[in-house]
Amino acid sequence: MISRNIPIVGEEFILGYRPQNEWQGLIATAFFLGKIGGGLFLVSMLIQFAAGALAGLVIAVIGKGIAHLLYLGRPERFWRAMANPGSSWISRGIIGMMVFAVFGFIHIMPYYGWLELGTGTGLWWAIAIIAGFAAFIVMVYDGFVLAASPAIPLWNSSLMPILCFFYALLGGTTLTIFMLYFLGQDLSGVALLKNIEIWLLIINFIIVVSFLLTMRKTTSAGREAVMQLLTGPFAKLFIGAVIIVGLVVTFLLTLYFTATESMTVLLWITLADLIGHYFIFYLLLRAGLYTPISSR
Amino acid sequence: MTRYGMAIDLKRCLGCNGCTIACKAENGTPKGVFYTKVLEEERGTFPMTQKVYYPVLCNHCQDAPCEEACPTGATYTRADGIVLVENDKCMGCRACYVACPYKNRYYLPKGILSEGYYGKLTPYEIEKYKEFQEGVAVKCKFCVERVEQGLEPACVTTCMAGARVFGKLDDPNSEVSRIIRSRNGFQPLAEYNTKPCVFYLD
Repeated sequence: MISRNIPIVGEEFILGYRPQNEWQGLIATAFFLGKIGGGLFLVSMLIQFAAGALAGLVIAVIGKGIAHLLYLGRPERFWRAMANPGSSWISRGIIGMMVFAVFGFIHIMPYYGWLELGTGTGLWWAIAIIAGFAAFIVMVYDGFVLAASPAIPLWNSSLMPILCFFYALLGGTTLTIFMLYFLGQDLSGVALLKNIEIWLLIINFIIVVSFLLTMRKTTSAGREAVMQLLTGPFAKLFIGAVIIVGLVVTFLLTLYFTATESMTVLLWITLADLIGHYFIFYLLLRAGLYTPISSR
Repeated sequence: MTRYGMAIDLKRCLGCNGCTIACKAENGTPKGVFYTKVLEEERGTFPMTQKVYYPVLCNHCQDAPCEEACPTGATYTRADGIVLVENDKCMGCRACYVACPYKNRYYLPKGILSEGYYGKLTPYEIEKYKEFQEGVAVKCKFCVERVEQGLEPACVTTCMAGARVFGKLDDPNSEVSRIIRSRNGFQPLAEYNTKPCVFYLD
C-alpha cells in the first residue's frame, strides 16, 4: 500500500487541495454590508425606529450594491443577474434586494412624511411584512449562495444560512442599540435589545463551534479548511478577531455595558462586533478549499 | 441525441503536457489560462514511490453546477452536452468559478488581453484574443468548432500516448463508450453527482 500525502497547492500543476481565491475582500464586504444592513433594518422595523431602518436600507442596498458592482468584471451587465432565479441563489438574492429596496423605502416614507399613509393601516402592514421578508432574504441569501456550492465543502453546509441569519441579527441588534443611544432616541425598548444581544452572542458562539466541528468531520477538504482556520495561516485572525474580539470581548463588554451604560463601552462593543462579523465571513471565503480529484 | 464525452487513460498518460500546449495553440488562451493541463501526484515515500498524472479539463457535466449557479444564464449546455459560456451575457461574478468542483473555470481580469505572454502582443495573440473579452469567465469548449467539423478536440489529436479518447457517449458502439465499459471507467468526484462526461481509466 502506497501512502498518499495530498498538499495544499496554488496554481502549479500538482494534485492537491486548491484554495478558493476569487471571492475575497469585496465579496466579503458585500456580504458583511448586506447582513448588517438587513439586520439593522429588521430590528429597527420591529421597534419602529425609522432612522435605524433607513440606515439599514442604505447600508444594505447602496453599500452592498456598490461592493458587488466594484467586484463584477462587467458591472454594466449587472441587470442580467436576475435572469436565472430558477436555480441561481445569486439571482434570487438580487431579486430579494430589489424588493427590499422598493418596499423598505415605501415602509419608511410615512415616518418622514414623504408619503401619506397611516402607520398601522392594513396597507402599511402589508408593505411592512413584504419589506421584512425581503430584509430576511438579504440577510440569509449569501448563506444559501455558499451552501449551494458543492465545490467547496467548507461552505456546503446547511448551517451556513443559519450562521448568516444569526450574525445578521446580532449585527443589526448591536447597530440599533448604538444608534438609539447616539441619536438620543427613546430608550424604553433597549433593555430587551440588550438581553437579546447577550443571547445572540451565546447562540452565535454555539453555531460557530458547531459549524467548525461539523465541517471537520465531513470531507477531507472540509477538515483541511477548518485546520487552516484553527492552526493554519488564518488561525491568528480567526481566533483573535472572530472568536476573541467578535464574540468573547463583545460578550464581556455587553455585560459591562448593561451595568454601566457607558457610551465609550457601547462604541467598543459596536466596533468589536463589526470586526468579528466582517472577519468570520472573510475568513470562511479565504479558507475554502477544493477537493482534489483522485484515482481509485 | 448525441452526447459528447471523453475517456482519459491514466496508465497511458506520460505527463508530457502536449495536450496543454495543443490546447493553448488551438484556443490561444491568455497567460495563466489553461483549458486543459496535467496535474501530477507523487505517492509514497522513498524507495516505494509512484508518480501519477491526471489530465484535467472541463468535464462538461450533465448536471453542471456552474450552469445552475450562473445568475445571468451565460453558461448553458448545448443539445450535444457541450457546456459553453456566452461571453456577451457573462457579468464576471465568478459564481461559476466557485461552483465548479474541479476548478476548471478561469476568469479573465482587466488588462489580461493587452499583456500577452511577452508584455507585448504577438500577431498570433492579436488574432486569437479577438475571441475573448476581459471581465468574463472562460472554460474548455471541447474544441466545439473542430467537433462541428467532424474533428476531435486538439488535446485528443495531439496526445502521443493515445491517452485521450473522444466520442459519443450515447452510442454504445463508439470507441469511447466501449473503453469506458471495458475498463470500468470512473468519473472524477462522482460523489458530487454532477455527472461529468469525462471519464478516467486506471
